[in-house]
Amino acid sequence: MRHRLSEAISGYLFVLPAALVLAIFGLLPLLYNLYISLFNWHIKRATFIGLGNYKEIFGGVAPFALLVISVSLLASGCALVGKNRKLLVRLLALFLLACGAAGLALDLPQINSLGDSDMLRSFRVTLWYSLGTVPIQLFFGFLIAAALDGKFDGKEAFRVIYLLPYIVPAVATAAVFERLFSLRPESWANQMLALFGSHPLQWLREYKGIFELLFGLAPTNGAGSLSDYWSTWAGGPSLALVSIMFYNYWVFIGYYALIFANGLAAVPRQLYEAASLDGASPFTMLRRITLPLVSPTTYFLTILGIIGTFKSFNSIYVLRDPSTGGVTDPMSVYIFFQFFHGGRFGYAAALSMVLLVIVVGLTLIQQRSMGKRVFYEQ
Amino acid sequence: MSNRPTPRPPLFTALRYLALGIGAFIALLPFAYMIANALKTYSETVTRVSPNPFSPEFWPAAPQWSNFSEVWLGDAFAHYFFNSFIISLVTLCGSLATSSLAAYAFAKLRFPGKETIFSIFLLTLMIPETVTLIPNFLVISYLGWTDRLAGLTVPFLASAFYIFLLRQFFRQIPDSLLENARMDGASNLRILWSIVAPIGQAPLFTVAFLDIASSWNSLQWPLVVVQTPRWRPITVGLARLISEAGPQIQLRMAGALISLAPVVAVYLVAQHQIVDSLSNSGIKG
Repeated sequence: MRHRLSEAISGYLFVLPAALVLAIFGLLPLLYNLYISLFNWHIKRATFIGLGNYKEIFGGVAPFALLVISVSLLASGCALVGKNRKLLVRLLALFLLACGAAGLALDLPQINSLGDSDMLRSFRVTLWYSLGTVPIQLFFGFLIAAALDGKFDGKEAFRVIYLLPYIVPAVATAAVFERLFSLRPESWANQMLALFGSHPLQWLREYKGIFELLFGLAPTNGAGSLSDYWSTWAGGPSLALVSIMFYNYWVFIGYYALIFANGLAAVPRQLYEAASLDGASPFTMLRRITLPLVSPTTYFLTILGIIGTFKSFNSIYVLRDPSTGGVTDPMSVYIFFQFFHGGRFGYAAALSMVLLVIVVGLTLIQQRSMGKRVFYEQ
Repeated sequence: MSNRPTPRPPLFTALRYLALGIGAFIALLPFAYMIANALKTYSETVTRVSPNPFSPEFWPAAPQWSNFSEVWLGDAFAHYFFNSFIISLVTLCGSLATSSLAAYAFAKLRFPGKETIFSIFLLTLMIPETVTLIPNFLVISYLGWTDRLAGLTVPFLASAFYIFLLRQFFRQIPDSLLENARMDGASNLRILWSIVAPIGQAPLFTVAFLDIASSWNSLQWPLVVVQTPRWRPITVGLARLISEAGPQIQLRMAGALISLAPVVAVYLVAQHQIVDSLSNSGIKG
């Protein structure tokens, strides 16, 4: 019995230092942040304004309520699609998804005009950033992983090289990309264009969307607020943001490749033997064996990548050009500047609570569906 | 596709090396650019340029080593480098100690509420830095720790992620090993130090590398809590150099090289350990 007691006491004592640090700087700040977000806190604490900051973000109760309803409709629609294959359930799911999408289509312009349009722009940037980076990193990461599979000379050297961009300080490598994609005619990107006989571009300084540059899909004006708002999406991500995406590819494709290579190595080789005895083509084997068996890795990297874009900071801080007016700033960066340059502590705290809800939502999706299998058993 | 027992055709081998070679070329190109431009004169960074690293135009006519001394002394990078070194060292010692103590307790000791405490620890992993930034800044200001070493290190003296990683490993150590030592009257601290830590060298090393890399690379927090050069780390120094040095590309590149050199050095020395553990567990750097 005494032994039990002393073991418990050592247990608590061993956990205590870490618990103190994590509580003071990891968990309690959450409550404190919530508290700050209820004030008109401009560097110094001023008046208590309740949900005033949140009202400013969403433009009132009605747009917020519609947003919550639309997102929950979309989420339940996705959950139904994932679970059930019955026709009736599928139709219901489709209906829910359509309602949710329609709700968002009506609500976002509302929030844009009544609430914080800069916040909405930073959300759009985050979304473009996820869509523009994660699929491409997955694709090329998988290709390189396939090339890395098996035993061959120089494999270790390639692995070391491919992880290098991921391991080194982002500020230092972003400093290089800031030059490679500068608007000067002698920058690397413009020299590459010149090889193809093309005119130099503004790259990181270009605020215009790439669809606007490519197809002339310029935002319209005066066609009514709804289509007006959605036409700002039609221009696509700014060329400046696309330049930042190139940096992301450079950092993450090698890392994705190494993670995928591990997934590939775990696929039992007997499966391929059996399949080739049955006369399966390499393409069929890829589609029926490899892709399903590495799908946990794919899923893990997808969610990790999306969460990463919501947390990104270092590289964008270096690569952003203030003259582009925030077209490269995802939510995390927008919030930082509201706090750091704007001094709007209360408002930035409220914005960060919105970010928290999104990130926790994504993390829960990850853990619900497979986090345990992929991550915790390693 | 994968793991086929039959030897691969030569065409496959050729394609493999081609694909991997292109990938490696792209991965290394920005480093080549960094080195080449760190050694150029200012006018060469504008006039002597080429997109192709195999062309002599990509490289300086004569390496200008003085760029490094200009950044190192003129822009006080020596001082920032030293600051980053101290910050990383203090954070490393602290977080290794707290994390291995807690991980040992979670893995090997029995006490009421253990699982609950552990899951509360894991909760902190979900919270983005943006959310804790403002309250932590206010707490650090209240304590008077802005522009001080404590403000830069104390919030990072424990990490739920490292605890999680170490616990996974410590759990695999057989209890019988520890029981024998306990019979001999060894305390838990002694067991952790002289039995568990030597067996767990590899994961402890991984955690150490991750911690050095993350404190050496951190930017957002030091931007907020450091206003004077006294404890300014090298990342903030470099970010300021980028926004303030004007067109002096060769100085920026020299500064960037200096700031990534220590991380690359540690990485190259311990490449196998790091590559294996990073690619095995999907660890976030």
